Amino acid sequence: MNLSLAFQLMAQPDVNFALILPEVIVSIAGVLVMMVDAFSRRADQRWATGGLSLAGLLGAAGACLWLWSGGAGERVTAFNGMVVLDRLRLSFTLVFIIVSALTVLISMIWVERERLPAGEFHSLLLFATAGMMLMASGGDLVIVFLGLEVLSIATYVMAGFRRTDTRSNESSLKYFILGSFSSAFLLYGIALVYGGTAVNTPGGISAGTTNISEIAARLDDGMYPPLIFAGAAMMLVGFGFKIATAPFHVWTPDVYEGAPTPVTAFMAAGPKAAGFAAFMRVFLFAFPFAVAATGTATSAQVHAAWLGALSVIAILTMTVGNVVALVQRNVKRMLAYSSIAHAGYALVGFVAAGATGDATQQSDAVAAVVFYLLAYALMNLGAFAVVTMIARGGDRRTEIEDYYGIGFRAPVLSFALSIFLLSLLGVPLTAGFMGKVVVFREALSQGFASGNQLLVALVVIGVLNTAVSVYYYLGLIVAMFFRERTTEWSAPRVPASISVTLALTVLGVFYLGIFPGRVIDAFRSVQTTAVTRLK
Amino acid sequence: MQQYLLTILILLPVAGAIALAAHGLVAPYRRESHYRWIALGFTIATFALSLLLLSGGIGEDATGAFKFVQNVPWIGAIGAGYHVGVDGISLWLVLLTTLLMPIAILSSWNAVEKRSLAYYASLLILEGAMIGVFVALDLLVFYLFFEASLVPMFFLIGVWGGQNRVYAAVKFFIYTAVGSLLMLAGIIALYFIHAQQVGFGTFDYVTLFEALREGRMTIGARPEFWLFLAFAIAFAIKVPLFPFHTWLPDAHTEAPTAGSVILAGVLLKMGTYGLLRFNFALFPGMSRYFAPLMITLAVIGIIYGALVAMVQPDVKRLVAYSSVSHMGFVMLGLFSFTEQGMQGALYQMLNHGVSTGALFLLVGMIYERRHTRMIADFGGLAKPMPLFATFIVFASLSSVGLPLLNGFVGEFLIMLGMWNSGFDYAWIATMLAATGVIWAAVYMLWMLQRVLFGRVTNAHNARLPDLNAREIGLLAPLLALMLLMGAYPQPFLNRSRGSVEQVRVRVAAPHTGGTFTAGVDKSSNVTGDR
Repeated sequence: MNLSLAFQLMAQPDVNFALILPEVIVSIAGVLVMMVDAFSRRADQRWATGGLSLAGLLGAAGACLWLWSGGAGERVTAFNGMVVLDRLRLSFTLVFIIVSALTVLISMIWVERERLPAGEFHSLLLFATAGMMLMASGGDLVIVFLGLEVLSIATYVMAGFRRTDTRSNESSLKYFILGSFSSAFLLYGIALVYGGTAVNTPGGISAGTTNISEIAARLDDGMYPPLIFAGAAMMLVGFGFKIATAPFHVWTPDVYEGAPTPVTAFMAAGPKAAGFAAFMRVFLFAFPFAVAATGTATSAQVHAAWLGALSVIAILTMTVGNVVALVQRNVKRMLAYSSIAHAGYALVGFVAAGATGDATQQSDAVAAVVFYLLAYALMNLGAFAVVTMIARGGDRRTEIEDYYGIGFRAPVLSFALSIFLLSLLGVPLTAGFMGKVVVFREALSQGFASGNQLLVALVVIGVLNTAVSVYYYLGLIVAMFFRERTTEWSAPRVPASISVTLALTVLGVFYLGIFPGRVIDAFRSVQTTAVTRLK
Repeated sequence: MQQYLLTILILLPVAGAIALAAHGLVAPYRRESHYRWIALGFTIATFALSLLLLSGGIGEDATGAFKFVQNVPWIGAIGAGYHVGVDGISLWLVLLTTLLMPIAILSSWNAVEKRSLAYYASLLILEGAMIGVFVALDLLVFYLFFEASLVPMFFLIGVWGGQNRVYAAVKFFIYTAVGSLLMLAGIIALYFIHAQQVGFGTFDYVTLFEALREGRMTIGARPEFWLFLAFAIAFAIKVPLFPFHTWLPDAHTEAPTAGSVILAGVLLKMGTYGLLRFNFALFPGMSRYFAPLMITLAVIGIIYGALVAMVQPDVKRLVAYSSVSHMGFVMLGLFSFTEQGMQGALYQMLNHGVSTGALFLLVGMIYERRHTRMIADFGGLAKPMPLFATFIVFASLSSVGLPLLNGFVGEFLIMLGMWNSGFDYAWIATMLAATGVIWAAVYMLWMLQRVLFGRVTNAHNARLPDLNAREIGLLAPLLALMLLMGAYPQPFLNRSRGSVEQVRVRVAAPHTGGTFTAGVDKSSNVTGDR
């Protein structure tokens, strides 16, 4: 960057705090929670910090809706393109807030039971949420990476939060080592793309860029195209790890099984959605759809390459997740593999979004993915809320055998869990069904419009995978309702916070399943993208 | 009121389930017997309301138009609407559902001791879903109810079923759920074909049907081939057609009595109804193309079901296999593409619901008394239980197809239709199917002879109490229907004629688009002049 430009930027800083209001509110709430934690009595700590966290998240949700109502959906940037405001960001931000708020509710009983410091947990959770929000709002690879690291570091600590438990320690360490490795991949990819986007201008060779829309503009003029390919591949691996796609999923079952159950719930819903947000932001807008007319151009080649790779990854992810889940005997591991499978279904929507150059269709496909992830977040958090209750102290009872015959002894928990499992399976009237319908619909829509057989194949494979998944989701329902229990068991008392969680998630699952129209409409918008320029 | 009636019919049982749950939550220590009264009240109210459908003028004109239509947008974003309506095809199936439901509840009066709240709630939710299936005119709404009906049935079999219930329940769920998944892909594909050719996507059955009939939309042969299969496999599993039938004996045998009654009486009809409503109307070319295969499988099903029924030692399993045979007749009639055949098939669906339902009820009654269903454990039951013997003989003869009883009308029409269908070798199919009637007489009468007549060989059977008033009361309407439908079928057939003819004209006429033409007689072009 030359000196005069730098001065110019300093003179007219493109500052717009209104645009990062949700992030600011959540960060401040996180700091406040730490303060309250330090100065409040131990006894009422969890209510104070939990309440404060919820208030912060509610404030952020308000800010998010305020931003939503402000714009007609077109893209606004601030901080010299570092932060963008569009529907993709806002809808994902809302998903993160819902995930975090539900996690706070689930964790209330857990921190009490395990005698863990509530304040620390809640502030970590809020910082993780701020990180997720940054990932969705970043208009620059640097911001995306920053958000990712804020999220990751908070999550590493949360995974190992039960210090005295070796499984929790193992989970945390494993997540930390593999997560850092994948972050390194991502960072290296960013560096390579930065190098690859250096262009030859009349004034000499300019530096590269990490700004996402700027990358898209420079793809065809870059001086070192191979660097762009290598960089995109590295980033694909980095993001692929974060959202646990096959073959980068191997860490998931161990980490999910070992981490405390509320943290597992959070990890499967929140960071995964954040990964999708950043993944989609970077690949849809930095390496956008490019027509074949510019056949040999780097942009078209990069686009074809990542889309093809992503299709293969989607097939692998769906299949591996579902097939391996079939043989799991531990409920948390089963749900971990199920979460891998669901990432695969969502990837089908992502591929559909990538396969079109039409801004409206792309935004529809993105909306479908966000809807899917929201549906998944609700049913997943609900399911884990029940798992937390059944697991009791120390997360001990998580085998399928522990669920035998509890159906009519703890009817509220069991019926709620059944609803979530049926929704994960995709039975009509539930959010999971509607999510699959909208995602597969977008894929078929692109497939029919462009004659792209691959997308149709993706949908068929997705449907067949759903058929496979019937068995293991039903297995748990069978265990709860049809099997007899031979050992002594008394139903856990359901505390108010869990009741509220279950009520909210069950209502949400049915609302999204029966009246999804308003939510989908809110998520979709006409986005002005780099794509329009290339057409 | 007219346009809300169907929605009320769907929601009233669901409201009953919610009322049950509320009662359980508010007053959990009340007597369990409250639950069955609540359930009975709601099902009887639903039945009474459903009788209003008869007043709507359905089938009084020849157009077969839908009545009691409610059509409102549902999910704007994906172009789905909430569209329900009743025509002559679905009218009787809805009434059959609402009639069988209070009977099923009454049949479980004393049989269900554990977890009765969840039991009755499942039955009520099931009723809502089943009515929904028959009245849905939007493909997505149809799929929704089709799948939703699985869940309560799964619980009914799995929790209140017999020894082998877990296996049966899981098998039932997996077979039917997996079969219908591809139908969902087919439904979405239809949406896009309509979107491409007409300009807007829709899941609406009536819109799709009109577009296809008026040639605004054509489906190419290859896509139609796959679409037909995607729908037909889902329905064939449900029917069940011969190679897909293996879930049925397990599910029927393990299900509690009310579950078997509903399963045989209503759930199986969803398959044949779906074929008639969707496959025939939307993919007529491929329906013709696949007809020889379907007829072959139907005939195999008729004979295979009968032969296997003959050697069953368990009465309930015998009745279950007889269902495979009877549903084969329904398939045969449907794929004859003649008025007699298709009307007969529709009639046979009702007959099967009534007679097999009654047989399952009777088997359930004897099981409640003796806790066994093995034929070998019985013998000479006519002596201690004369009423029971009379009733079961009556129901069996109806199932066998004795003239003047309902089964005869359906089977006769079906075979007449098949004979006149104009297919090559149609007479062979008819003759083979006719042997099925003979086999049915053999297995039924032989079973009756071993169970009812002769000396009382087992001392346990000597002092069995005969049917009580409740049992007589719940069987009586079914027996009356058998007689009425056998002696005077005209009012039933008149109502459905127009609607069946609408579909038949479509499917029987060779038309453009999606026809492989091989073996299809182009000259027999029947035009829709009605």
